[in-house]
Amino acid sequence: MTAAPVAIRRGGLFRSVRRSPLARNRAAVGGLIILLPIVIGTVAPWLLASFDPNAQDLSQSLRFPSAEHFLGTDKLGRDVWSRIVFGAQPTLLGAVVVVVISGLVGVPLGLVAGYYGGKVDALIMRVLDALLAFPALLLAILVVATFGRGLGTVVVALGVIYVPAMARLIRSVTLVQRTLTYVDAGRALGFSDGRILFRHILPNLVAAVVVQSTIDLAYAILDIAALSFLGLGQQPPDPDWGSMLADGRAYLLQNAWPALSAGFAIMLAVISFNLVGDGLRSQLDPRERER
Amino acid sequence: MVAYALRRLLGLVPVLFFVSFVTFGLIRLAPGDPVLIVLGGKKVDPATAAVLREQFGLVGDPFSQYIAWLGRALSGDLGESFRLRQDVVSLIVDRLPLTLELIGLSMLIAIAVGVPLGVLQAHRRNSVIDYAGSLLALIGLSAPVYFSAIVGVLVFAVWLGWVPAFGAGSDPLDQLHHLLLPAAALALGTIALTSRMTRSAMIEALTSDYIEAARAKGLPERTILVKHALRNALIPVVTVTSLQVGFLLVGSVLVETTLGLGGLGSLITDAIQNRDYPVIQATVLLLTVAFSILNLATDLVYGVIDPRIRLG
Repeated sequence: MTAAPVAIRRGGLFRSVRRSPLARNRAAVGGLIILLPIVIGTVAPWLLASFDPNAQDLSQSLRFPSAEHFLGTDKLGRDVWSRIVFGAQPTLLGAVVVVVISGLVGVPLGLVAGYYGGKVDALIMRVLDALLAFPALLLAILVVATFGRGLGTVVVALGVIYVPAMARLIRSVTLVQRTLTYVDAGRALGFSDGRILFRHILPNLVAAVVVQSTIDLAYAILDIAALSFLGLGQQPPDPDWGSMLADGRAYLLQNAWPALSAGFAIMLAVISFNLVGDGLRSQLDPRERER
Repeated sequence: MVAYALRRLLGLVPVLFFVSFVTFGLIRLAPGDPVLIVLGGKKVDPATAAVLREQFGLVGDPFSQYIAWLGRALSGDLGESFRLRQDVVSLIVDRLPLTLELIGLSMLIAIAVGVPLGVLQAHRRNSVIDYAGSLLALIGLSAPVYFSAIVGVLVFAVWLGWVPAFGAGSDPLDQLHHLLLPAAALALGTIALTSRMTRSAMIEALTSDYIEAARAKGLPERTILVKHALRNALIPVVTVTSLQVGFLLVGSVLVETTLGLGGLGSLITDAIQNRDYPVIQATVLLLTVAFSILNLATDLVYGVIDPRIRLG
């Protein structure tokens, strides 16, 4: 904690970043490099794309890659590269919201269950286990088919479905923290349970939450893409990787570029979060660090 | 052990009631009248609609509908599909073999590729083989299963012509040929997990004292690898791999939908698209039962393989 500012003073921010343990993990660096254009596509897609992603030009239908159209065009003559770039936003932002929802609900639940134990714990975990009995994707399909297609429903449904995993993790880490001396000390000083939970225990769980969230982001991207591949997510004409892949399947034999581009976009996004997640885990998880 | 298994099975009962209730509630919350959807949006006179509603068991409040459904379900009658006008149980019996074959074949591929790959990676740690295996595992974990299926069709069916692109084949051997590609696509994720697990378990086993002892005795490397290290490393591998059957089950829904295979998975997605209540209800419940029992079986297998683990 105290080493970082010293390093900045001596060698500047760049050097301290380069020397940080995460930067020495080549896989994690690779993940971050793949992630960079995806993040740019999410926050400022117009920097990377030269065409309006929804602009049709039927005279340019299903063109192969050219200097003008980097990845060719789809059935309706829309620029595939621009649609890939603009398609990053629904998927990535959606995945972030899924993880935020699961954290906002799952972290307090896990904290309370782990800290109080007994009946509160039994009740919370019983309900969460029942939710885990459903195969996740199946429940998501069911919920989205019920409450209406669209990215919003998909994201909320997945957010709720991701709660049990987060809550279980937080509970198990809290069980360990609860036995440590600083919690006893807090109690002896007469701190309220809320203060001990959120001001003292929670900061010690940040590492676990960060690692779990990064891995969950990878899963959320896969699930969002799967639901939109099934036609339940982002609705046409707006660009989205899952629905682009589903559309491209229809004319796969004439021009495979649209489908393959969308598929590789999903895969690269998932790979990048998996790599960063693994890297973070090997830095933050004390069990892994010993190896 | 038996008492433990029984207690876990009993614990499953309330969960299944919960699952069936939630499924029942969810599909009835959906807007749109299933009778009108079944009739394809045609104008119907109220009398016909009422008759159909009666036939489908859609009269009365949802809760008494649920109780009525539950009563029939417990006696083995899962109703009739609204759309296909076929008994749900026989519909499932028709569709299930293809899905089971797909999952079984997938599992076989995953173990046949994943375990040797992991052993090889552990044996030649930090070699080119090790890195290539890790890269393959990363891709397997990250590629969406429907995308692997599409790429597989493009490469192996269209470009190389090794396997058929679509359909499920007629006789058993032909069916195996047709299912090879979907099963391989489905297996990628499990191959990745299996090889990763095998690799790390083998690395841990290979550094232990009994391996040192076996080496000191002058046993051949192959014997040490397979009979001593692998046997101990296999416990977590078996556990994680058998847990994967549940995920393969869910993945099969996507693969079947992508490649137009008429198994249980495409039955579910079709039913959900068409508001076919009895089919949704039955298939979701069936998958959940399978998923839960698999989880239980995994815990039990664990106890059998490693006598140190006491279940209780």
